Amino acid sequence: MAKEKRVKGDGKRHAIQAAVTLAYNFKLWNFLSGSISQGKTKSICVPGLNCYSCPGAVGACPMGALQNTVRNGGRISFPYYALGMLILFGAVLGRLICGFLCPFGFVQDLLYKIPFFKKLRSFRGDRALRWIKYAVLLLLCILFPMFLSGDWVTVPFFCKYICPSGMLFGAIPLTLANPALASQAGGLFWWKIAVLAVIVLLSLLISRPFCRYLCPLGAFYGLFNRIAIVNLQHSEDKCTHCGACEAVCPMGIDPVKDYASTECIRCTRCARACPHGALHLGIGAQKNSDKKQAAANRRKAGRKNK
Amino acid sequence: MKRAYFGIAAGVIGLVLIAYGVLSGQAGLVLQKAIRVCLECVGLG
Ligand code: SF4
Ligand code: SF4
Ligand code: SF4
Repeated sequence: MAKEKRVKGDGKRHAIQAAVTLAYNFKLWNFLSGSISQGKTKSICVPGLNCYSCPGAVGACPMGALQNTVRNGGRISFPYYALGMLILFGAVLGRLICGFLCPFGFVQDLLYKIPFFKKLRSFRGDRALRWIKYAVLLLLCILFPMFLSGDWVTVPFFCKYICPSGMLFGAIPLTLANPALASQAGGLFWWKIAVLAVIVLLSLLISRPFCRYLCPLGAFYGLFNRIAIVNLQHSEDKCTHCGACEAVCPMGIDPVKDYASTECIRCTRCARACPHGALHLGIGAQKNSDKKQAAANRRKAGRKNK
Repeated sequence: MKRAYFGIAAGVIGLVLIAYGVLSGQAGLVLQKAIRVCLECVGLG
């Protein structure tokens, strides 16, 4: 059975992810009654993908908010509020949100820990498939809700046909606790259960398949990875090009070559695995470099690799 | 550090958009959506 390589500090990161998941959904008593929270805090978006129809949710989902505000009262409208939230989160943290503050990312991390007959780090087509999430963002989250909704009702296409977070955190607990809702389950419900099941299965084989290929929120935040205030930094003068960082990256990135990649979820595994402390979180994306030392390290690494 | 200035500028743009969104009633719209079970989200609508 293949297993994920362990890196020091993974437990602490998962503890933060668990605490964040609980903080987003702390009204646990609603799970028993099969109802959802109606508090005013639900006008504020949380940074991660967390369904506002989760019984415990105390905030709004930013992707749900975006889809539902691109149209208002039958007219196209500019989603100032949801877009502002998304830009603010992205500008401050970029995809650090994916690494630490997203419940659905956390679920995939846990699933990938389960030993499976194979763990695929990369495969042919992996890079190309990653473009799908941008199409999901543009079409299902913006253009379709904007132009293909009915006169009065805005249809959140991503929520309706794809989002597995809505099923896992919303539909499953609600239908288990509320028979009236369960009795309404039809074709669409089973379609979304199937999407969730495929993602769960793929998560045993590939690290973070939903984040890699489908998530529109990750796609959006990734656009900010180059400029986000809290960012990954690489000290070239400390780096020996040993490859220890690349070997543990859950997104299949070489942080030495592209430490500001749109695919990087800022999980800091690479930084924790680096024996020389050459990668770390800091303010602004940058290469810190004593140029002479960096060039010497590269020459040495080149000789070793021959 | 230089790039962080772009991040700060983007953050300020985000804050301005949020403020305008609140004034134009979009925060209320999000609240209305979030406090009812979203049938699309849970595969029932
Ligand atoms: S279904 Fe998904 S995108 Fe829609 S509100 Fe729920 S979590 Fe957000
Ligand atoms: S890509 Fe989406 S689901 Fe994955 S961690 Fe980021 S926001 Fe969450
Ligand atoms: S490059 Fe580093 S921080 Fe980014 S996803 Fe890979 S291991 Fe995580």
